[in-house]
Amino acid sequence: MSEPIVRLRGVRKTFWRDREPVPVLDGLDLDVPEGSFEALMGPSGSGKTTLLNLIAGLDRPTEGSIEVAGQPIHQLPEGALARWRSETIGFVFQSYNLLPVLTAQQNVELPLLLRRLPRAERRKRAETALRIVGLEDRTQHFPRQLSGGQEQRVTIARAIVNDPKILVADEPTGNLDKGSTKDVLDLLARLNKELGKTILMVTHDPHAAERATIIRKLDKGQLA
Amino acid sequence: MSLAGIAASDLMRRNRLRTALTLGGVAFGVLAFILIQTVISAWEIGVTTAAKDRTVTRHKVTFVMSLPKRYVEEIRRTPGVKQATWSTWFGGKNPLQEREFFMAIGVEPESWLDVYDEVGVAPEERSAWIADRQGALVGDVLAKKFGWKKGDTVKLTSNIFPGEWEYRIHAIYQPLRKSADRSMFVFDWDYLNQSVPERQREQVGWITSRVKTGTDPAALSKALDAKFEENEVQTLSQDEASFQRSFLGMMSAILGAMNVVSLVILGIMALILGNTVAMGVRERLREYAVLRAIGFRSSHVTRLVLGEAAALGAAGGLLGLAIAVPIVGGLGKFLEENMAAYFSVFRLDPGTAGLALAIAVGLGAAAGLIPARGASRLPVVEALRRVA
Repeated sequence: MSEPIVRLRGVRKTFWRDREPVPVLDGLDLDVPEGSFEALMGPSGSGKTTLLNLIAGLDRPTEGSIEVAGQPIHQLPEGALARWRSETIGFVFQSYNLLPVLTAQQNVELPLLLRRLPRAERRKRAETALRIVGLEDRTQHFPRQLSGGQEQRVTIARAIVNDPKILVADEPTGNLDKGSTKDVLDLLARLNKELGKTILMVTHDPHAAERATIIRKLDKGQLA
Repeated sequence: MSLAGIAASDLMRRNRLRTALTLGGVAFGVLAFILIQTVISAWEIGVTTAAKDRTVTRHKVTFVMSLPKRYVEEIRRTPGVKQATWSTWFGGKNPLQEREFFMAIGVEPESWLDVYDEVGVAPEERSAWIADRQGALVGDVLAKKFGWKKGDTVKLTSNIFPGEWEYRIHAIYQPLRKSADRSMFVFDWDYLNQSVPERQREQVGWITSRVKTGTDPAALSKALDAKFEENEVQTLSQDEASFQRSFLGMMSAILGAMNVVSLVILGIMALILGNTVAMGVRERLREYAVLRAIGFRSSHVTRLVLGEAAALGAAGGLLGLAIAVPIVGGLGKFLEENMAAYFSVFRLDPGTAGLALAIAVGLGAAAGLIPARGASRLPVVEALRRVA
C-alpha cells in the first residue's frame, strides 16, 4: 500500500443551527492512499459532502488535523489555502457548475488564469484536457449546447487541466442518465489508472461505487 | 481570456435585454447631465471667459444707474490703467422683430475696440465706423438672424430712449475669442448723447478699463472706488468675471436648481446600475463560489464584480456621449443662431464630456461595491449549498 495522500486525525465538524450545535463529523480518522479511487457512501446527512469539503480545503474542521499531499491545510490562511486548492485539487460537481457565458474551452481555461501562462499555452493545455475527456470537437460550444454528460466531461477537463494530485467528485453522476453515467465513471477510472489521480467520490449510487477501488461508508459522522 | 474577459462575456452574453436597458438608462442619464451642464456653462460663459486684465466700474447702487462721463478721464489718468472706454445700454429692438432680444450699446468706437480686442473688424471698416457718427457694428450671429449685411441702413427703437434711430452698418464683426458676444449691436455713443435731452447728456452706463501688465485688478478696483468715494456718485469696480457674475446672481436660484437636478440624475443612474449589478451578482453566487473553489481568491471576485459594474457604467457613459455629441451639436447650432442673447456659445465642453464619463464609471464601480463585498465574503461551502 502506498503512503496516504490524505491523513485526517481526530476531525470534528460542528455546525450551528438556531444556536444549537449540530455535530456532523465526530472525531474522524482517515488515511487515503495515493493513487486510490475511493467511493464515499452513506445516508443523507451522514457528513459525506462535509468530509469531502474538508479534504478539499473548502471548509475548516472544528477540531483535529487534516494533512493533504503533505500540507497541513487546517493551518493555512485563506489566501494560501486558495492557492493550494488551485494547485492540488480538481473539483467535479453534481450540477457541473460551468460558467454559461463561456465556451467549453474557456471554462476549462479558468483554473489556468491563476498561473502566469501565455495565452497560447493556456489554450493548448485546455485543448489537451478536452481531448482527454473526448470533447476535442466541442471546444467552442457553450454549456447550453452540450448534453449533461458532455457538460460533466467539460467539468472533469476543468478539474484536470492544472494537473492536480487529487480529484474530488461530489455525486458526479447524480444528474446523468445511464449511458452518460457509464461514460463519466469510465473516464474517472481511466484518470485514476492512466494518470494516477487520487479520486474521492461521494455517491449514493451503489453501481457507481462499484467502480471505485475502495468503498467507505459514513454514518452519523463516523466511518463504518 | 482574463478576468476582464469573463466580465465582458457576462455583460454581452447574459441577460442582454437587462444589459441593454441598463445601458440605455445610464446613457440617457449621461445625456441629461451633459445637457444641463452645457446650459449652465453657456450661461456662465461670460464669467469663465472674462478677460483677466479688465475691470468694470459701475454705479455703486446698481448698474441700471449711470455714471458721469467725466469719470472716464479720471480713470484713464489712474496709475495702472492702460486704456478705458465706456458703454451705455440702449435697450434696442428691431421694430420688425420686436420680440427678439439682443444687446445694443452706445460706445466710444476707438477706445472700445482697443479694450474689447476680441471683436474682429478689418482696419478699413474700423476707420469707416469711427468716421460715421451713425455707424454701427453688428455681430455675425445677429446679422444672420435679421438678414442684415454691411452697407445696410437699419432702424432701431429703444425701450429707454424714445423715437426711431437710424444706423449704417459698417462691419459684421467676427469673434476673435470665445468671450466675444456675437449678437451685439454696437454704435457711437455720441450719436445717442447728442440726441437725448440736455439733462440726460454726458452720462455713461459703465466704464471698462484695461489694466497694465503687472497691475493687480483687485487693487486697481479698490483704488478706483476710493477715488470717487467723496463724489456725489460713488462707484463699484470689479474684475470682469465678478461683473458678469453679478448678472448671473439674479439667476443663481435657477442655476442651483439645475445643479440639484444634475445630482438627482446621477443618483438615479447609481440606482439603475446598483440594481442591475445586485441582480447579476445574486444570480451568479454559485459561479463565484465555483471560482473560489477552484482557487480564485475573494479579491478576484471583488475585482470581477467591480470591473463588470465599472465597465457597465463606462459603456453606458460612452453610449451617452455618442448620443450627446450630435444632439448638443445640433441644438447648439440652433441656439447660437436663434437665441444667441442667452446662449452665445452652446458647445459640448471636453471637460464636461470627460466628467460625465468619469462619473458614469465611478458610479458603476460604487454601485458594485456592496454586491462585490457580499459576493466575496460569502463562504464557498455555503454559497455552493445555497444554490446547488
